[in-house]
Amino acid sequence: MSSTGPAARNRTPVPAGNGSDGDHSSIVLGPRDRLVGQLYVEGDLRVVGTVEGGLEVTGSVEIDDGGRVTGPVTARDRLVVGRAGSLLGDVRVARLVVQDGATFSGKVSMGKQVEAPPKPVEAVQAAEPVINAPAATVAEPAQPMQPIRGQQAVKPAQPAKPQATRPPETKGKRR
Amino acid sequence: MDVQEAVAGSTSVASGDDNGDAKRDGQRKFTMGPNDSLEGKLVYDGSVHVDGRAEGEFKVTGNLDVAQGATARISIEAANVTVKGQVEGSVNVRDKLTLGKNARLSGDIVVKRLQIDDGASLNGHVRMGDIEQHGSGG
Repeated sequence: MSSTGPAARNRTPVPAGNGSDGDHSSIVLGPRDRLVGQLYVEGDLRVVGTVEGGLEVTGSVEIDDGGRVTGPVTARDRLVVGRAGSLLGDVRVARLVVQDGATFSGKVSMGKQVEAPPKPVEAVQAAEPVINAPAATVAEPAQPMQPIRGQQAVKPAQPAKPQATRPPETKGKRR
Repeated sequence: MDVQEAVAGSTSVASGDDNGDAKRDGQRKFTMGPNDSLEGKLVYDGSVHVDGRAEGEFKVTGNLDVAQGATARISIEAANVTVKGQVEGSVNVRDKLTLGKNARLSGDIVVKRLQIDDGASLNGHVRMGDIEQHGSGG
């Protein structure tokens, strides 16, 4: 069986027409695209098609031009629901823009908790790190989709990184 | 007819030339200045401009706007609401709610149309659709 390494690398969700500069994806779900499930993006996401499920994005999310999202959305930067966009679901965002004409229903949580580091240093050190986990492979989709819950997020599957001894990057660099 | 009640202690809701209960374009307008405060329940046939400090329950047939720098701990029912200051409380808007870039709103929202400008802060539940009309008398 061929190793999962290269195959996993190919799983980076960069369909044709979408851009990625390595760490930072820029994904567009077009008008005829449809996603049912959970999507985690390290980068930005623009939804012009249909999403049924959860979105977690490290950058910004834009829903417009007939885009419809049904499900929770977490965006560490900005969420824009354009005048021709529809979002039915709870959102956790740092910044929120809703244009006149947009459809939106759900619970909104804004504030510092969104930017909180997902893994507290003490928690990672205290937790038993599962070093046997295939750290080299791309994380299973289910793992990054865990909601950012700050303190209670003890993630044993998260390999302890060397940088983990540093204090977590201070939030507020955007504020 | 409008009913204004429970306007407490330090309340002074009609200071300055431009403040107070004025008619503009045939519509009555209740304007609070930055040093005014109101605590209690206000049922008003017209539009209301909130500056300074407000606390209680506002039922307004027209529009209600909360100025930048104003602090309001109120439940709101109005046709259109524009928030540029700070509001804590539930907001029922028959037509449109606008949150300006410096707005801070904490509370549940029922609204037909919603506009949130970049920079605004919102914590609460948003429901879009027609709001149920409660008895407007009390």
